[in-house]
Formats: sequence, structure tokens, C-alpha cells
Amino acid sequence: MTDRTLHFPLPDEYEDAELRARVAAAYQAVPTADPAQVERCARAVLAAAMHAPAERRTGVVSPRWWWGVAAAAVLVVMTSRPWRPELARNEADSAFTASRPITEPRGATVEERGDVTRFDLVLPTEAEEVALVGDFNGWDENATPMVRRAGNTTWSARVPLPPGRHIYAFVVDGRRWLVDPLAPQVPDAGYGPTNALIVDGTN
Amino acid sequence: MTDAELVVRTRAGEPDAFGTLVGRYYDACWRFAYHMLGERADAEDVVQETFLRAYLAIGRYDERDQFRGWLFRILTNQCRNAQTSRGRRTKRFIQDELAIESAPAPPPGLATGVEDAAIVRALAQLDPLQREALLLKYAEGLEYSEMSAMTGAGESALKMRVKRGSERLRALLGTLHD
Repeated sequence: MTDRTLHFPLPDEYEDAELRARVAAAYQAVPTADPAQVERCARAVLAAAMHAPAERRTGVVSPRWWWGVAAAAVLVVMTSRPWRPELARNEADSAFTASRPITEPRGATVEERGDVTRFDLVLPTEAEEVALVGDFNGWDENATPMVRRAGNTTWSARVPLPPGRHIYAFVVDGRRWLVDPLAPQVPDAGYGPTNALIVDGTN
Repeated sequence: MTDAELVVRTRAGEPDAFGTLVGRYYDACWRFAYHMLGERADAEDVVQETFLRAYLAIGRYDERDQFRGWLFRILTNQCRNAQTSRGRRTKRFIQDELAIESAPAPPPGLATGVEDAAIVRALAQLDPLQREALLLKYAEGLEYSEMSAMTGAGESALKMRVKRGSERLRALLGTLHD
């Protein structure tokens, strides 16, 4: 079987010369537009375009407004890292403390999932052991030892705490009681200063 | 200053450059739109919409094309859109048709200076695609290849539209004369 190309001739160019002349004459008979009409058109176009400026060619890709929004969203997500809140908090804390050498203790509390509260303490000097004491463990120095985290001056402890108000303090090397000077404190009832913490239980 | 230079300036944010292009091509667009739509006010609207769309899409204009051809591509589309929306309008207010038919010549909206009102009327009664092809061929003097690029129709189809349109136009002119 052989392929055979079938040719369909294009219709010849039909032209009605008389009609062509008449249409062209009618076309040309339309007077040029009034200059005011042209100006009205140009003004209307430019006024409408004020709200939607002409596209400008800037190479293969042209900037879009949502690029900035997307970049900002990525930056926020990468900075806050919602999937690891404790990491973000740690880094924020360490960034804060790393900016200058600390001269006094600095603590932080973070409510984690499952009613667990994490206590952090950064000391200006090294310590052998640190414990967390409070109304939740009967002020027992041996009940909640803190764990050394980064280096020898940062300590952490995780304690399950029910929603409510709790007061606490830190014990360094079994003898020195101290508080976080930047955290809320309760009046000294004769046993030394203590910090106060409200657990709202929303996590 | 050439069209290409004016386009470059428009892209650079000089609105006056586009104003010059409007002044340069307004008449050509206006004539075509008027003969396509047969109505002065509609033609004015369509031309304005054409220039607005051209301005907004100026970033997509390819310098290898002639600006006039590119503009007419937008214009022919806008004329088709106007005819479609007018078709809906006429269907809605069908009772007005009788008033239009019984109105004395020239029909409302006829541009001043038009002496051959018969041809304008006859053109208005043609199938829109035939009218478009006839105007681009007879009045604008375009080649079929140019018409094809502008309208998106094949050259054979365009040749057929010109032929059929011419025959129909002759018939309509004969009827109008009688």
C-alpha cells in the first residue's frame, strides 16, 4: 500500500474590484476622529491603567508581588520552627545570653506539651549541681535535680505541673538558693526569695 | 520616533509615549471598529478598550511584530466581544428592533461625513466573520497571511469568507437599491 498525498487546492483569491473600491471609499469617507475624542481615549486609558500599570519586561522572569510574601513566610517559619518550639526557644535564649557575658543568674520557663514545664537556668559561674525546688516538690532539694545542658553553666529540668500558680527557686551546689531576677517574684515570707509561675495549661 | 521606540519608552514608565501611539493609531482603529459595529458609540468604546488592553499587555508585545498588526489583533477580538454582547442585548430588547427598522435613514449612530450609508448598512447585515474578512482585505488592504496571523483563521477560510461576503454584500446592496 502506498501513501498518496491528496492535494486540495486553495480557493483562488476572489476579488470584486468594484466592491473593493466602494468599501475602501466608504472606509476613507469616515472623517478622522475629533482630537478631543482621541485625547479622551488616551486620558481614560492612562487613568484606568493607574490602578494596573503596564507590564514591564524584565528578562525571562518578572517580579511578582507575592514573591515578597512567600519569602517573608519562609523566613518566619524557618526562624520560629513551630515543629520544634523548644529548639527555637533555646536558640533565642542562647542568642540572648551569648551577646554579652552574664553577670547574674538568668532563668526561663517554657510550657511544653502534656502539662510539662521546662525550667532553664543560666549561671554566671560553673556549678557542680543544681536543683529545682518549689511548692510542687515540697521544697525538697533532692527531688528535682537539674541537668547540665550546654557547657557547665546552663541547667534544665522538666516538671509536670497542673494549671495554677506555682512558686519555685533554684539551689546551687546544695547550699546557695537563688532566683531568676528577671522573673516574677513573691514577697519573702522569711524563707528567702522565690519566683512565681502561672501555668495556664493551654499547651 | 518609531513605534518600537515608543513601546520601549512606555515600558520604561513614560505614559506620554503611549499617548503618542494612541494618537498615531486611533483613526485606523476607529474606522475599522465603526465599520465592524456600524455604531459610533460602540466603536468608540471598543477602541478605548483596545488601547487599554494594549497598554496593560505592552510587556508581552514582541518587537518583531508590527505594532499596528498587534494592535489590530486586539481590536478584532474586542469587536467580536462587542458583537457578542450586543447580540445578547438585542435579544433582550427585541421589541426595539421594530423601532430601528422603521426609523428613517441614516440609522442612529451613523458617523458624520459618511455618504455611502447603503454600504455601511449592508456591511452591518453581513455575518460578522465575513464582515471582518472583507474589511481587512478590501479596506485595510492586508495580505491573507497577515489576516491569518491577526484573526487566527486559516488562509483558505479567510479567502472563502471574502468571496461569500462579497457575494452577500452585492445581494444586499441590490436589495437596498430596489
